[in-house]
Amino acid sequence: MTPTTLALTTLVAPASAALVLAVVPGLRSRGWPAAALCILASVVSLGAALGVLSGCLADPTPSVLAVPWLRTSSVTVAEIGVRVDGVVASMLSVVTLVALSVQVFSLGYMHDEPRPAFGRYFAYHALFLLSMDVLVVAPNLLQLFAGWELVGVTSYLLIGFYYRKPSAARAAVKAFWVTKFADMGFLAGLLTLFVASGSFGWDAHLAPGTATVVTLLLFFAVVGKSAQFPLHVWLPDAMEGPTPVSALLHAATMVAAGVFLVVRADPLFAQAEATRTVMLVLGAATALFAALLALVQTDIKKVLAYSTCSQLGYMVAALGAGSMIGGFFHLTTHAFFKALLFLAAGSAIHAVHSNEIGDMGGLARRMPVTGGAFVVGALALAGVPGFSGFFSKDLVLEAVEGKLASLPWAALLATAFLTAFYMGRVVVVAFFGAPTGEKAERAHEPGWSMRGPLVVLGVLAAGGGVFAAPFAHLYGREYHFEMGVGPSLAAALAIGGFGAAYLVFGRAKGAPLPAPLALVDRVAKTSIVNRVYEVGYRRVALALADGLAWIDRYIVDGLINLLGYGTLEAGARARAVQTGLAPDYVLAAMLGVAGLAVWAVLR
Amino acid sequence: MSLASCLLLAAALFCVGLYGLLARRQIVAILLSIELMANAANLVFVAFGHYRGGALGQVFAVFSIALTVAEVAVGLALAMLLYRRHGDSRVELASEMKR
Amino acid sequence: MESLGFGILAGCALMSAFAVVRSANLVHAVLWLGVTLVATAGLYAMLGASFLASVQVLLYVGGVVTLMIFGLMMTRRHGDSGPQIEDVRSAPAALAAIILFGATAWAVVSTDGLDAPVTPPPAVGPAALGRALVRDHVLAFETISMLLLVAIVGAIVIARRKDPGGAAAAAPASAASVAVPKAAE
Repeated sequence: MTPTTLALTTLVAPASAALVLAVVPGLRSRGWPAAALCILASVVSLGAALGVLSGCLADPTPSVLAVPWLRTSSVTVAEIGVRVDGVVASMLSVVTLVALSVQVFSLGYMHDEPRPAFGRYFAYHALFLLSMDVLVVAPNLLQLFAGWELVGVTSYLLIGFYYRKPSAARAAVKAFWVTKFADMGFLAGLLTLFVASGSFGWDAHLAPGTATVVTLLLFFAVVGKSAQFPLHVWLPDAMEGPTPVSALLHAATMVAAGVFLVVRADPLFAQAEATRTVMLVLGAATALFAALLALVQTDIKKVLAYSTCSQLGYMVAALGAGSMIGGFFHLTTHAFFKALLFLAAGSAIHAVHSNEIGDMGGLARRMPVTGGAFVVGALALAGVPGFSGFFSKDLVLEAVEGKLASLPWAALLATAFLTAFYMGRVVVVAFFGAPTGEKAERAHEPGWSMRGPLVVLGVLAAGGGVFAAPFAHLYGREYHFEMGVGPSLAAALAIGGFGAAYLVFGRAKGAPLPAPLALVDRVAKTSIVNRVYEVGYRRVALALADGLAWIDRYIVDGLINLLGYGTLEAGARARAVQTGLAPDYVLAAMLGVAGLAVWAVLR
Repeated sequence: MSLASCLLLAAALFCVGLYGLLARRQIVAILLSIELMANAANLVFVAFGHYRGGALGQVFAVFSIALTVAEVAVGLALAMLLYRRHGDSRVELASEMKR
Repeated sequence: MESLGFGILAGCALMSAFAVVRSANLVHAVLWLGVTLVATAGLYAMLGASFLASVQVLLYVGGVVTLMIFGLMMTRRHGDSGPQIEDVRSAPAALAAIILFGATAWAVVSTDGLDAPVTPPPAVGPAALGRALVRDHVLAFETISMLLLVAIVGAIVIARRKDPGGAAAAAPASAASVAVPKAAE
């Protein structure tokens, strides 16, 4: 099969699964058939994606299979179909692999759900995989936008999976709201691009000003989707969804869509140096800011959520520095180790029935696979030498170094230390030390379906660095690694972070915060950004909406109602003319005749 | 005596008839007015026949008289019907067109 | 002499026509109509249509006016002194009539050459009229006779009393459909 056909298969398999689950009654409500169908589709998708990847490694020439879409009589506005190249191949593989792992993990994690909810969960997963694949294989930005929105919808469905829980429903709406708000930028950017270049392709040559406008608008959407400051507020709340969902959507794939968009539209971003500078600054700032917030969280998922924001900041900064491969490789390794971390956290939560790291403790002894997986993930995330995160982070730091007086570089290095520190804290508090409660004492290793994905992802997270060379090959680059000053510094900071975490939290029971962190905690608890949005929403958006509603109700509708009322009134008046009396009709006819006669004479 | 004077007379008779047609309420009075108007038309036929030659004017007048007689027959029948239904023969009573 | 005769006849016709539409007593109105018709018959005779004049007198005055009086008798309530005439819409009716008369009169007056003698008019005698009716225009003649027949039958159908018992139930077929909603009221 050709690469494009294989890529098409990755779309067709989850699409068929989603369709069958949608229309065949009983499949979803019975639960297990839905899960089996969904996992089968994901296996087929993964196989096809790996086929695409091997094909691309052999021959990285892009190929496109597309049919015209939105055709006018003279112009084909856009095409719909699949495009295969290095970016698509690697992203497809990552997405399908993580999706499959998460789905298998969910078999165990969601086991206690009622059957219909279980089936619904997997139907959503099939739909999500389809959406993500549509986004990834898009041959132009318009289809990418369609996939982007589909991903937004499925994300809404999955975050709000426990829709009876008010906080989950609110979180789903919030995520949808915030990303939709950012998507206005995508749409505006798309339209600007189309007006300027006449197509939705990402390889148009634009005037410098136009390029800056288009890329800034697109980047606005990226800020929303990839949870960059100041639109990061939805991501921690999105942790209300089931933990595997957080692993898939809010760590590995969906939030990476923003980064993917920038990688995809790299030719456009390359034309706008100003936008790249904004990205560099915002990415580095988000990385540091989110890492600080992650320090003070006690909910294990929130730690990981802020960590995701922080790592996405790394990627955005790398892209801002012009290193597409740095950002994208970090995306790939991050997908592995963050999915691993979330799944391991999910496994721990499943065992302890609590999200608080204070309720855990000493889990590594009773849950060796989970604990090992989490430690591997933490080491990879912190960038300890040898683990995948070390290599990708190194690429990022190398790209950023020297830009803007090395300030972003310094911020990212500080973040690297903080990352190691907060991950060390979670590891030390939750997985080592003494159990802090009954539940933590009775915790035990989950079943094979949950352990299997942990092992697979753990291997990838640990050894993902070996993909750096073939990864570079996909982009026609060479990959060298030298243990120079930068990498050594990063490695030292990572190890130092872990050491510091052990020193601070290793002995103490629970998770008391040292004095400087207490300040951060207090700032975090004020949730200033959320406040700003709340006020903005209440004061500005609602007032605006009220104003528009008033205009709609009394002016637009008023005009229509006036028209209707006028017609009725005119009809009632005109009705009086019809007396039903023959003499009146004769009189009218004769007046008409007289009028005609006068007209004929005077003519 | 001339064509013009005949035509003016006919017009005057016609308009008097029209006034009666519009102003009166009794159905028989309305029929009388219609007779006046038809009579005026006949006068025009005959006058044109006389001044413009030919028998055609008189032929038309004959036909017109026959038509008028037919109309009177039907009209009177309607008047009787109206009277029978309403006990009166005012034309306002026949307002079924609205109801 | 001719003009004097015309003036007298025209005056009679007009005056009696006014009497027809204005007299309060309907019987008087019918009789005034007879006067108008007789005056018009005189005009016919002056215009060389002697046959038509006699037809007018015999058929119109003798037939129609009599018929009208019969009709009047039959549509009169018992105990009534006579049908009361109550005019309505006098003003708009007069307006329409005056406007129409003005326009027509203006048209007549302003038309040039109306009285230019074209050819000496040949007198149309009864024989010529008869020939014109039953030879040249025989189709129209027969159609008119059919029309008269239909009118007679129709008049009988309309005026026939179907149910001798009740007055209201005597509605003919054509009025039956409108009688239903009336009964439902």
